[in-house]
Amino acid sequence: MLLQQIITGISIGGIYALLATGYSLIYSLLDFSNWSHGEFAMIGAYVAIVFSNILGTPFLIAAVMGVIGGAAISFLSERFAYRRIRSNGAPNMFLMIAAMGLSNVFQQAANLIFTGQYRSYSFKLPVSTIKIGQAYIGVLDLISLGITAVILVVLIYLINKTKFGLDVRAIACNQKAARVLGIRVDQSIATVFLLAGSLAGTAGILYGMKYNVFPTMGNVGLKAFIASVIGGLGSVPGAIVGAVLLGVLETLVSAYISSSLRDFFSFALLIVLLLVKPSGLFGVDVQDKA
Amino acid sequence: MSKEITAPVLEMQNVEKHFGGVHAIDNFSVKIEQGQIHGLIGPNGAGKTTIFNNITGIYAPDSGKILFLGKDITGSSPHKVAQLGIGRTFQNIRLFSNLSVMENVIIASGMDATYNMPQALLHTKKYTEREKHLQDKAMNLLEIVGLQDKAGERANSLPYGHQRKLEIARAMALEPKLLLLDEPAAGMNADESKELVEFVRQIRDRFDITILMIEHHMDVVTNLCDYCTVLNFGKTIAVGTPAEVKSDPEVIRAYLGGT
Repeated sequence: MLLQQIITGISIGGIYALLATGYSLIYSLLDFSNWSHGEFAMIGAYVAIVFSNILGTPFLIAAVMGVIGGAAISFLSERFAYRRIRSNGAPNMFLMIAAMGLSNVFQQAANLIFTGQYRSYSFKLPVSTIKIGQAYIGVLDLISLGITAVILVVLIYLINKTKFGLDVRAIACNQKAARVLGIRVDQSIATVFLLAGSLAGTAGILYGMKYNVFPTMGNVGLKAFIASVIGGLGSVPGAIVGAVLLGVLETLVSAYISSSLRDFFSFALLIVLLLVKPSGLFGVDVQDKA
Repeated sequence: MSKEITAPVLEMQNVEKHFGGVHAIDNFSVKIEQGQIHGLIGPNGAGKTTIFNNITGIYAPDSGKILFLGKDITGSSPHKVAQLGIGRTFQNIRLFSNLSVMENVIIASGMDATYNMPQALLHTKKYTEREKHLQDKAMNLLEIVGLQDKAGERANSLPYGHQRKLEIARAMALEPKLLLLDEPAAGMNADESKELVEFVRQIRDRFDITILMIEHHMDVVTNLCDYCTVLNFGKTIAVGTPAEVKSDPEVIRAYLGGT
């Protein structure tokens, strides 16, 4: 029973992690929390709905289109909103306000186009379970867990072992120095938005498979944001650890205490952590950013 | 140095930059020939760093022209200027403090990393070869500045003098033809700045580059610079060899505030 809950928790935490790493990457580069990130996930989920339920494509194609949809909306948000604000030299607060505005626009647009109805993928989802010892584990959870694990390993590899990753880490540390050393800062930022958006799209589809697709589903971004703060804003490994912790905590609280207290415990964990270790578990030293 | 290269490495013509009502640079011109070390001196707020920022494209001048090897680079973006071959250091050291010493140098070798993301993920031969090449090149530069034993350490764990050297090694990874040094001797004692003079001269000779440096330490300027330009409140008040400008009455007045 406990094992079953923990695996479910890690699987949900994996979905949070796909979003939380996006928050962290963007925060580390631009020093703002991209509040429309959850909506990138929602849009990815709806794009997949359009392809699978309306156009009737095979689910794999619908899923790929959903991922591309998330990447595209993320890229376009950066290109036509955030980049303009940055090049005007406006304070970071403006970026955050713009992100909140985008989040609202995307949610309302989804409501207008698709109505508030909960939709599920016409694709027949695996509802079976497999038995490991005493525990029954959902195949869907295992698939979701497998996909996220692979994606996150690739992401960490990209950041730690490639020139692209090195550029991103350098920009996060000192954007001005990165510019005069020949790094195409805007291009790297755009690539990060593409990457973060495609992860968000993936998260949206996985989340939609589990909990249906609806216009306000992007609010899951708030959970991912909490996860990235727990892990230490700006740290990708931190975001992953924070997300898994949060996913497991939520599942255990739902199972053993009460599902209505789930969010209470999530926020309580956040508050306690901020009191004890404000920089988060893997917090980047504040002086490093200076 | 071949005779037919007539264009100076750097030429600035009547460059102006205002910030609000302040003339940060007023009608600034300079010509620096291949292999020279040119000093830029003047009291704080004289506009020296603004000149560096104009050259490297951090911001564009309001008017005037900047030519690099005869090519107009006025208003070019920083990464383009860097790729053309202008490297710089900063007055307040700007290392990538959370990266290793080695990574700081590798960063600037961007043009050499010609593999793409799939190749990196699949660890193709091309990727491994390029990575090896980048590391060898970085190690080479670290040896020149004497930091080869510190390659794996975090940049911000280095003592101050080493951080200055690392910043120069990092700029050299661009394989620049022109190196801009912003107060390289700041915060150094007499012995350290003597060592720095030797070090900068070595780099110039070994890589056959041209250097424009901002410096307050007059002994460093005297020992190192072929020519220098003295600025005060954005205006050029003297140009010449260090010995000439030191005896210029207007320079003495600007520095000592006398009559």
